[in-house]
Amino acid sequence: MFKYLFKTLWRHRTRTLLTVTGSAVAMFVFCFVGSVQEGLHRLTTGTDADRSLIVFQENRFCPTSSRLPEDYARKIREVRGVRDVMPIQVWTNNCRASLDIVVFNGADPNQIQKTRPITLMSGNWQQFMKQRDAAIVGRNVAQRRGLKTGDQFSIGEISVKVAGVFSSTIPSEENLIYTSLAFLQYTRGLDAAGLVTQHEVLLTDDADADQVATAIDASLRAGSVATKTRRKGAFQASTLSDLVDLIGFAHWLGYACVGLVLSLVATTTVMSVQDRIKEYAVLQTIGVRPLHAMRLVLAESTILCLIGGIGGTLLATGALALGGFAIGAEGATIAFRPSYGLLTTGTAVSLLVGIVAGIAPAIQAATVPIVDALQEA
Amino acid sequence: MALLELRGVSKSFRKGDETITPLDNINLDIEAGEFVSLMGPSGTGKSTLLNLVSGIDQPDAGTIKVAGTEVTGLSRSKLADWRAENLGYIFQTHNLIPVLTAYENVELPTLLLKLTSTQRRQRVELALQAVGLSDRADHYPRQLSGGQEQRVGIARAIVAHPKVVVADEPTGSLDTETSEQVQDLLQRLNRELDITMLMVTHDSDAAGIASRQLILDRGKFLDGDAADGMVAMGSVKEQSAIKKYG
Repeated sequence: MFKYLFKTLWRHRTRTLLTVTGSAVAMFVFCFVGSVQEGLHRLTTGTDADRSLIVFQENRFCPTSSRLPEDYARKIREVRGVRDVMPIQVWTNNCRASLDIVVFNGADPNQIQKTRPITLMSGNWQQFMKQRDAAIVGRNVAQRRGLKTGDQFSIGEISVKVAGVFSSTIPSEENLIYTSLAFLQYTRGLDAAGLVTQHEVLLTDDADADQVATAIDASLRAGSVATKTRRKGAFQASTLSDLVDLIGFAHWLGYACVGLVLSLVATTTVMSVQDRIKEYAVLQTIGVRPLHAMRLVLAESTILCLIGGIGGTLLATGALALGGFAIGAEGATIAFRPSYGLLTTGTAVSLLVGIVAGIAPAIQAATVPIVDALQEA
Repeated sequence: MALLELRGVSKSFRKGDETITPLDNINLDIEAGEFVSLMGPSGTGKSTLLNLVSGIDQPDAGTIKVAGTEVTGLSRSKLADWRAENLGYIFQTHNLIPVLTAYENVELPTLLLKLTSTQRRQRVELALQAVGLSDRADHYPRQLSGGQEQRVGIARAIVAHPKVVVADEPTGSLDTETSEQVQDLLQRLNRELDITMLMVTHDSDAAGIASRQLILDRGKFLDGDAADGMVAMGSVKEQSAIKKYG
């Protein structure tokens, strides 16, 4: 009977193609929205977000407005529960929300290699450590900007030599460009000798993050600049607060896409069943059970939805993998990355929507008044 | 015991304020291997009777037994199973599935039976051979003439080796020559394969191929004399026309 099903779909190929395309576009958007949600979730949760702290200048609104003495690192190391401190100078080309934000993090190359969960995909650490203007570039930025090892990359007052491209287990990290701390501190226009934007604090396994944060702020109270210390996840969520609200709202867009696929496939299936109501009557006259007729219709809507949905999901994951998309503000970024979760969700949603979309027409086909339908012209 | 037994079968419809009773307390026995034709003016319940026997419609009263199974008491699903195994239906307008080839159309009823693919193929080939369309197996309905389509419809009706084949005006949409070919085919299938047939027709020539002819009028079977009289006055189709314009 599946031959009948596939031949029917092929016979109405324009309708089938339009429905599949519509489903694919909607599921593409659904997966994109899903990847943004996932990116935000990854940014604000997980080990990196919960087990490290960011010390920054109180009332900061952009990396440039946080200017802490580099020397604070020594005092922070003395706080109980602190395993390591990495002073970081941050430079970004745009403090407002942007889809093409470039963020430089200047830090000690040895510390970067030791503390950050990054792996060089090309280039080498030696060149990065030796050469003052060398930079290692996150995979996302490299994809977006078309950078590769050996390239010279300039933006604003900053010009670096790409010493390597790295991947990271933390997708937002792949939106960063790491340079040495000294290079960024002495870049013309920054005027940041002896100053850093923030200190990243790594905690010992038994440390209570909130208590350590309070202790750090207390120990630096007598310093020249008042600080505010927060968990990294909370810091990033706060930095991106405007975007977080927008992203929170965007999940409705995802639901709207699901609704769109549902109505599209349901409409097509209803039309298909109504066009062929006499065929369903004939099938039942020759002995096809109502439940079997119902299964045929459900299979039709599910196939349409699955082909479109999986197509859209694959396209979205492909685009996410190759595009290196990210959104950011004030030096914090959210990476849009593909994931097995997205693939699974996209497929499962397509399957579910296909079944739901087919229920009403399937009931219609199963309960068709045979005699009346046979008399239709 | 008769293969087909109808006892006290009645069926009414509401049409506006009017109640139409196409079948009124009908009794009928058809023996295995019999070929029965059913004639009567338009709207006298011939097709209704066929639909009731097929189990695609339910009577208001009475019982219908086919090969010992009372079809009036079966659920819609069980009726479908019963039809798949016991009944072949030949439609007036062929009602072939347009996206399937002649072979696939004939194969459809066999997909509902527990058969191996070899058994299925053999049955389909034999059915197509029986209606003389083996060379058109790969043709789609749109590539067949009206007569060929009807022969595919007949092959589809007999492929599952049903106990009864019902035909609702099988020659109604065909020209005279094709109609005669289809009549011959039905007669041959009845004689050679011993298929029990119940055929509704307006055409007295078509009815003439049956071993027994019944005439239904105003919800009742006419007795022998009345039926003879009606046939003697011309075909029922003509009678209808006379009534209509008289």
